[in-house]
Amino acid sequence: MSSSGYGQKEKVLSRIAANRLQKELTEWQVNAPCGFKHKVTDSLQRWIIEVHGAPNTLYEGEQFHLQVDFPEHYPMEAPQVIFMQVPPMHPHIYSNGHICLDILYDSWSPAMTVSSICISILSMLSSSTVKARPPDDDRYVRNCRNGRSPKETRWWFHDDKV
Amino acid sequence: MKVKILQWHAVASWTWDAHDDACGICRMAFDGCCPDCKMPGDDCPLMWGACNHAFHLHCILKWVNSQSPRPQCPMCRRDWKFRGD
Repeated sequence: MSSSGYGQKEKVLSRIAANRLQKELTEWQVNAPCGFKHKVTDSLQRWIIEVHGAPNTLYEGEQFHLQVDFPEHYPMEAPQVIFMQVPPMHPHIYSNGHICLDILYDSWSPAMTVSSICISILSMLSSSTVKARPPDDDRYVRNCRNGRSPKETRWWFHDDKV
Repeated sequence: MKVKILQWHAVASWTWDAHDDACGICRMAFDGCCPDCKMPGDDCPLMWGACNHAFHLHCILKWVNSQSPRPQCPMCRRDWKFRGD
């Protein structure tokens, strides 16, 4: 199994998806969101993004990596966004890298971009007051062991404080 | 005085009155066309929602059809209704 694992159908990007991603990449190159760095690869379908914890937050000085995989019909469908090892200690981030954040699932809108997702994730990190895993981390990660995508999880978004 | 017009060369320009430059879904210019089309204009028209957000018709239809029964505007999340419905 490749590191992509996550049961996502590796279908090529549709013309609309490829076109939009190319535009997003160009826009990113002139105006990247603060605290993020796109790691250049030859793949438009998978972006690896370096995340720098914001100053004056619990994650200051720490560095993480996001893996963003785009489905064939992006942006009609949300990309799959996970933290690569080791994910930040955060009450909404599971130790397998899955992120409990509504815009990545039920609240996705095609008007969102990689850049706006990054900003939401950094804002979620920055407002954290405690470095801890979600209370159901063990159970959740055990259930995902067969390489399930976070997009297949039925998320409950009950806490908008962090 | 009589003027006799021998030749008349008219030039017109057009633009969509969308209050924005680009479609929020495909990010292509409104005065261009969506990635599935070749010719801007009547072949790839704009469509407005009741909330006044505009998109290429082809783009918003793809979104709305994938979101039944209760599609929302990609920009403001209000329930999507075509303007004038």
